[in-house]
This record gives sequence, structure tokens and C-alpha cells, in this order.
Amino acid sequence: MTEASVPRPTSSRARWAVPAVVAVAVTGAFLAPPLLASADESVLPDVTPGQLVTTIAAAEPVPLSGTVVYTARLGLPEIPLAEMTGADPIALLGGSSTLRVWTDGAERSRVALLGSASEYSVVQDGAEAWTYSSSDDAVVHYTLSAADQARFDALADDARAGTLPEVAGGLPTPDEAARAALAQVEQYSTVAMGDQTTVAGRDAYQLVVTPKDASTLIGKVVVAIDAETSTPLRVQTWSSTDSSSPALEIGFTDVAFTTPDDAVLAFSAPAGAAVKDVVVPLPEMTGAEPETAPGTLPEGVSITGTGWETVTTWSGLDVASLIAGDPAALATVPGAELTIGSESAQDLIEEFMPSDGSGSPSIPTLDTSVLYDQLTTAVPEGRLLSSTLLSVLVTDDGRVLVGAVPAETLRAMA
Amino acid sequence: MTASGTRSSSVPRDRLRPAGSTEPAGADVELDASDVTALAVRTEGLTKRFRSGQLAVDGIGLRVPRGSVYGFLGPNGSGKTTTIRMLLGLVRPTSGVAWLLGEPMPDGAGHVLPRVGALVEGPAFHPYLGGRANLARLDASDATADPRTARRRSDEALERVGLTAAASKPYRQYSLGMKQRLGLAAALLRPRELLVLDEPTNGLDPQGTREVRLLIRELADAGTTVLVSSHLLTEIEQVCTHLGIMGRGKLLVQGERQVLTERGVARVTVTTAGEQVGAAAEVLTGLGLAEVLADGVTLHALLGATAPEEVSAAIVNAGLDLVGLQVRRPSLEELFVELTGEGFDVAR
Amino acid sequence: MSHADVLADGSADAAELRPSSTPVRGAWGRLVRSELRLVFGRRRNQALLAGLAAVPLLLGLVLFVTRDSALAGQGPGFVGRVTGNGLFLVVAALIMCLPFLLPLTIGIATGEAIAGEASSGTLRYLLAVPVSRTRLLAVKAVATMTFVAAAVLAIGLVALAVGAAFFGLTDVTLLSGTTIPLADGVLRVAGVAAYVTLSLTGLVAVGLFFSTLTEVPVGAMAATVIVAIVSAVLDTLPQLAAIHPALLTHHWLDFAEFLRVEVDWGVLSSGMAVQAAWVAIFGSLAWSRFVTADVSS
Repeated sequence: MTEASVPRPTSSRARWAVPAVVAVAVTGAFLAPPLLASADESVLPDVTPGQLVTTIAAAEPVPLSGTVVYTARLGLPEIPLAEMTGADPIALLGGSSTLRVWTDGAERSRVALLGSASEYSVVQDGAEAWTYSSSDDAVVHYTLSAADQARFDALADDARAGTLPEVAGGLPTPDEAARAALAQVEQYSTVAMGDQTTVAGRDAYQLVVTPKDASTLIGKVVVAIDAETSTPLRVQTWSSTDSSSPALEIGFTDVAFTTPDDAVLAFSAPAGAAVKDVVVPLPEMTGAEPETAPGTLPEGVSITGTGWETVTTWSGLDVASLIAGDPAALATVPGAELTIGSESAQDLIEEFMPSDGSGSPSIPTLDTSVLYDQLTTAVPEGRLLSSTLLSVLVTDDGRVLVGAVPAETLRAMA
Repeated sequence: MTASGTRSSSVPRDRLRPAGSTEPAGADVELDASDVTALAVRTEGLTKRFRSGQLAVDGIGLRVPRGSVYGFLGPNGSGKTTTIRMLLGLVRPTSGVAWLLGEPMPDGAGHVLPRVGALVEGPAFHPYLGGRANLARLDASDATADPRTARRRSDEALERVGLTAAASKPYRQYSLGMKQRLGLAAALLRPRELLVLDEPTNGLDPQGTREVRLLIRELADAGTTVLVSSHLLTEIEQVCTHLGIMGRGKLLVQGERQVLTERGVARVTVTTAGEQVGAAAEVLTGLGLAEVLADGVTLHALLGATAPEEVSAAIVNAGLDLVGLQVRRPSLEELFVELTGEGFDVAR
Repeated sequence: MSHADVLADGSADAAELRPSSTPVRGAWGRLVRSELRLVFGRRRNQALLAGLAAVPLLLGLVLFVTRDSALAGQGPGFVGRVTGNGLFLVVAALIMCLPFLLPLTIGIATGEAIAGEASSGTLRYLLAVPVSRTRLLAVKAVATMTFVAAAVLAIGLVALAVGAAFFGLTDVTLLSGTTIPLADGVLRVAGVAAYVTLSLTGLVAVGLFFSTLTEVPVGAMAATVIVAIVSAVLDTLPQLAAIHPALLTHHWLDFAEFLRVEVDWGVLSSGMAVQAAWVAIFGSLAWSRFVTADVSS
């Protein structure tokens, strides 16, 4: 008998190579697409920040639908209740959330915060808005009063006709507006173009706004702008204390510039749901432009410092009852919109406090003083909320100090 | 020798092709063609070392001729079952090779095992299924079995082992003997060229053991090669044409039963008149017999190559009275003890 | 044996003398049917299905009894919605069974598939028949998956019947607050059940792999259940956010996608892709292990 006649015993080792190869292939299949995408250098024509801002200002809002992932690394204490209550805007304070966004580019939009087996939806149709929470099957319907509604319709008609009333300072052309805005921003920041990038599979420019002032908590703000539609696709806010990952990041992971289905944008309260009606006052046009009229601050509000290190102080507030109060009450607080002083910071705050023209329908029913106790820590001056981007100090004598500055700065001021 | 030598005359034409038919030697042209056709089971240096390091089977070279009834003997733990598992492709050899009906194992399992019926280390069936359902399950697993004849074949197999009455009874209600019979029925589901029966008489009463022996003989007469293992030599010794004896993982001896039994060292016992014992012992020693021992008027000695007639003639020629002369060859059991230094485990 | 031999025989019994190495047509189907009979014929498995089907029955009963009390409308997941629309009992029951009972079912079924046959010794007889080990593993996987699908179906159908009887079926309010007709709702809930079933394939592959490692079916079962639980626990640790998307259980609740105003198929297919990856890796591990393993029981 020779060697050739010996049946070859199939090597066990050869068999075990199969799962090894499969594992490598599978891992590769999952990791490769993002790597390939990032390796794919987008080649867009170079633009200056000024040109980019002009384009953005001139761009018409476009219909789109997409998925947005929002990640906060604010350094706040963990909020375990977010896990238990399903889709709730409180979840936005920490961790990562997924939102789905639809808009027809005009008056109608829907934003849904997705929870596992739950959803919190905000549907806006002109001056009307609904929120729907699947967890408690509750609808809040926000409307304007009849008088406000008439005024809103008139404004909307004017906007459609292109004859917006002159507001303080006038409404400049997009080019002028952009220039003005840029000048405003550049007063306290350096604005530069960042590397071109790809967001949600789309080529995008990146605008980097860096505060000139070193004493602020904000390191830089990076906005990715879709090269084709000039739609902001992603905003990253970096803390000056952490340069490894952005403290706040909100951006599309998936976007399509198509008009959403009408069924998506329509909303009527489902049968059996608890419906609450809230009438929201339409803000006065003149009060909405703090930059153009810095002298007309609401009573009880004072501003210290300039630019990024601005600290806003409210005095004479009953914080405890405010916390327990309803969102409508919050909307009536003078200067409820957080004001930092620079336009980009203002934009930033508005970005993360989903608000829209009809007031503050999406300010959630932030329940409870429990949450307040969880988020803040006791300091000699009162209670302090300290995050990587923003510090809030509530003093025992009823003042609230807010600023994108280190907590020590606020405590020194209090 | 060839399988057809002793059995082919009784092979029914419709049951089995004659062994030694013109089957080509497969892909393996180097293999001695006569070996392939003549041997139902052949192994070369078959070795199994378990992961624990225990050497269960140590380089054995089995030769089971076609048409034979091969008694695979050895005490418990001598490596019989592991060898059988390797033959059937259940356990992968550490080294060495095995052929079943000329096909290499385990690679040829799909081709060759349908022609092999097996009972491995006792019967094992689904306890909540009846005998017939269990057979149906095994038959359904056989990709080469014809589903149209499945019912008839399983009924025949049950009939053959006397389980027809209990065919629908759940297996867990079977007695040990009935379980063993169902195992045999499974091995007989299809016409087989080779039956590998591991301890088929285990758990059977003497009557059952006799029936199994009869069954084996019947199958062998029909031309089926049977490899039957046992740790109880006497139970199968009578039906075997060939024997292989395992001990501590080694194949100590194998061959035709006849040859093996004659191979044992014969002893002679000579009885003389009382006062002649010393003289007789001298005569035996003079003949060259070893280990001459006196026990009263009786002498024992190893016969060796000397013929018994020479012994009697020498004693008579020396003028001594020969009262009795007895030649004893060792039984297989004694042969086994001689080879392994171990007794059969009768406690099991 | 050559074909010529058989033909030369020319006897009426030629079928019985079929060359043994030729597989009969339909052999696969025959083995699968036999395996399914074995799985579904086993009384323990029938009891398991009945037990799972009892979950929606009990849940429905509890909700029905408490529907007018202060406890009405409370509960996790979709439990609070059931009293309004019986169709949600299907979803609520599936959610209740998903974290533990369905993994347990998979553990029992996969543990029985290989380790059970090994421990009872029937595996060695199957392999000696012979059944190719690859084929046997594939058939076991098919039968186990069928059993899991039957378990989900049992829960779903009983829930549908109980929900309809106790609470009635009406138009469905989705998570997004949109109301759709009942027929669409039933379709979407069927989609939920289908997604849940397919979400369990990865765990079936893991269970089969464990089943090839041992001859103790209970050990394989326990390991399978533990994998599901550990995966769920890891999924809650924010420190491990990077690996969450790859976890076996991470996408299980994505079936909620069927209950949103616009079903995002991308989310569903990424959940399926993760399951496919687990099936590929653990399926091939199980295969490698099973085809090389010594069957010494």
C-alpha cells in the first residue's frame, strides 16, 4: 500500500477556518461601507465662508424627509427614567436619540422622537401644532387665539406675496443678511471653512465657528451644509474641555429631498386619546430680535459680558413653582428664549430647544422637581447645573444665572 | 481467502451480490484489488487518542473477510466500541485509515453506510415513540431508502426480531431485551452487506442470547458479513468463523477461529502407576517436554511440538505402565487470559 | 455496485436493490417532515406551545377584569392600549414573551436538536444510517426555526382571538398618532410577528452551536437563554454604546417600526442584517463543530 491509497482525513483545522472566514467577511461587510464612504473624498468647489452663508440665506427651504441622530455628551448625571418612560423629550438631555423628520419645506412638518416601541411626535401645520405621546396616548393641541390667527394668516399671506412688513432694521437681501450675520458672528468668533465632508451620503461644506474668547465653555461649532440644497445637515458643538468628541451633535444619518406623503404631515387626534388644548400667544414681531434692539430687555433680565462669555441673569423668579408649572407658564416668562448674545450661539440654542414660529409648542412637559434635583448639585450659593457647554446657577434668593461659561464664573458673579 | 470460499453457495441471488464480484476498486487504484473485494472491513494503523490523552485504540489492523462472522472480543474498555465508532465514521481516527466494503471511512460514509447495518453500544431510540415510529424515523433519515417500501421493510424487520406485537408501544415501556431487539431491527431495515453489532446480546436472557446467535447465523448463511463484538466470549464464540481479540487498545490476535484454537499451547497429562512417576518424568524430560511437574501419580507437561503418540510410545518403550494420557488444548478464554493477562469481565 | 448488476438481476425487487449510494428524490423533504413530526409530536413541545399561547389568554383576562378599575390603561409597552383595541394584545403579548419566554423556547428546541439526540444516543444511529452531518444540521435548523415560528404564531393567533373576544377590533392608532383602517392594522401586526420571528434566527444559530458543544441539552438551553439575557443587559449599558448595534437583541424591538406612520424599511433591514450576521457566524461555527466532532455518546 502506498501513501496515495490512504484516504485523506479531512483536517479539522480546515473546517474551523470556515467560521473564521465567515466572521471576517461579516465584520468586513458591516465595517466597510462607512470606511469606504469616509475614504471617498468629496471634491466640491472651494467657497469662502461669506459665499456659503450667502447661499444659505438665499436658499429656499426644501421638502425633505430623513432620520436625525442626536447625541449629547453634556456630562450631566445619568437620567435613568428616560429608559422607562419611552419616547420622551427628556431623553434629549443625555445619550443618543433618533428623530425622524418630514417637512414639505413650507408650513407643514412632522418630527418624531423614536423610543423603543414608543414615539413622541410633533406635527406642525401652519399656526397649528400637535404633540402626541404614544406612551400615554396624549395629544396636546397648540393653537393661536382667533385674533392671533388672523394676524398670523396675514403675515403668512404677506410672506407668500413677498411683502413682509418692515421689521426693525429692515429685511435685507440674502446677501446683505448673510454679510450682516457673518459680521455679527465675527465680532466674537473666527469663521472658517472646515474640511469638506459627507453627511448621510451627501457632500457637504463645513463651517467652523470658533469663539475668540477663551473663557467660554464652547470650543467650536461646526455646521455641515449640504452642497446642493444648502440645507444644514449636521451641527456639532464642541466643548473647550473635551476635544475628542462633540458635546452636542445633531445630524442626518439619512435624508431624502422629496416631499413627504400627505398622510405623514396630516394629524388628527386619535379616538380615545386625551386631548389638551393650549392657546399660545403670537409673539410680537419687534420683541423677537434682541440683537437689533439690545436695550429693550424684558424687566428683571440683565446681561453681563459680551459674546460667548455672556451671562444672562433673571431675578425674582420662583424657580420651584416654575419647575412644577406647565409649559404655557414657561412661555410667559420674560425672555423665555435663552439669550446668549451672539447670533450663532442663539441659533445653537434654538437648534436644541426645538421651537418654531408659533411659540413653544414643543417644550415638553418636563416633569418634576425630581429631575431638577437629579440634574443639579447643591453649592453654597444655591443649586448648580454644570454641563460641558452650559452652566446654570439658581441662587437661593431667586436669581438664575445662565451662561456658556465655567460654573466657577457664575458662582463668582452670584 | 475470499468471502465466496465458504458462503457464496448459500447467497440468494436477490439478497446480495456475491462477494468478490467485479466491483472496481474505486478511486484507489493503488489498493490491492483482492483486498478490496475480499475484505468487508480493513484498517491500517487505526489509532484513537482522546483529548484527555487516553490512547483508546492503538494502531490496529483489522481484517474482516467478506462472508465471515467476525467475533470482536475483548474486555470492557479494551477499545472495541471506539474502533466500531471509527469504522462507522462517528469518531475521527487520530491516525490510520479504515475501509468499509472497500470504501474509505469516514469520507465514503454516504456511499457505504446504507449497505451497513449497525448496533452501536446498545440500542438508543426516542422513548416516547413506538418501535415502528422509531424505525420510520431512521428510515426517513436514509436518503437512499425508498419511502414506498418503508412500511413493509420496517414491518419485516420487526417481525424478524419478534417485536410485531409491540410495534406501537412506546419505546420507554420496552424491556431491555425488547430494546436490544429493536436495535437489531433497525440494523435490518434494509438488506445489508455488512452488519456491525456491538454487544448485541447485552441485557438479553439466555433464551434471547440464543435467538441472537441464531439470527446471526441465519444472516451469515444468507451471505451477510457480520462483525459482532462482545465481552462475553462464550456467547458468540460458537457462531464466529473469525476472531479478533482486543486488549488495552491493541489487537492482540486475529484469524480464523479454527486456527486460533489450534494455535494454543497443548498440555499433556500422563498417569502412571504410583512408583513409576519419577521414571516417567525422566522419559518426558528426555523427549524435550518442558515444565514437567509431578502431582501424585500424575505428570503434567507442556506438549510443545511433540506428538502425543510419541509420548505414549516412549513411556511404553521405557517399560512403564501407561494408565492414562490426556492432551488438553486451552479454550479461547484461556487463550485470552494467556494473551492479555486479564480475565473476561463477567460482572457486567 | 454498478447499475449493470442491478439490471442484470432484472428481478421484480429491483427497487430494493437500488444502488445504495443513489439518493432517492425527495429525501430532503422526507427527513424534514420526519424531523417536524418528531418536534411537534413531542408532548413536551406541545405543552410549551400551549404555555406560550396561554400568555395572551392570561394577559387578556387580567386586562378584561381590571378594565373598569383604576388600573385600566396602565402597563408597559402596548398593554395600556389593549383595552381600546384587541389587536394590540398581539403586540403586547409578543413584547411580554420576547425577553425571556421566546429565548427559553429557543433554548429548549435547540438544546434538544443536537445535544438531546446525543444524550439519548439517537444521534449515533442517525449518523450511522447515514445522514450527512451537514444535512442533519440544516434539517435541525429548519425544524427548530419552524417550531419558533409556530410559537410566535400561537401567541399571535391566540392573542388575536382573545383580543377580539374581550375588547373588539377597531381601527388602529399607530405610535405616531395616525389612525389606519383595521385591515391595514392587521397586516402591520402580521408584519410585527414576522419580524419578531426572523429576529430570533440569530439566537437559534447560537443555540444550535451550543447544542453541538455538549451532550447535556439543559446546559445548551441554559447557555442560550443566558446569551439572550446578557445581550439585553449589555444593551442597557451606555458605556458599550459602540457595540450596541451589533448585539443580538438590540434590534428586537425595532418591530415598532411597523407601528409608525411611515415604516422605515432601512431600520428593519438593518435589524435583519444583524441577525443574518449572527446566523452566518454561529451557523458556520456550529457546522465546523458538528462535522468534526466525535460522537462518543
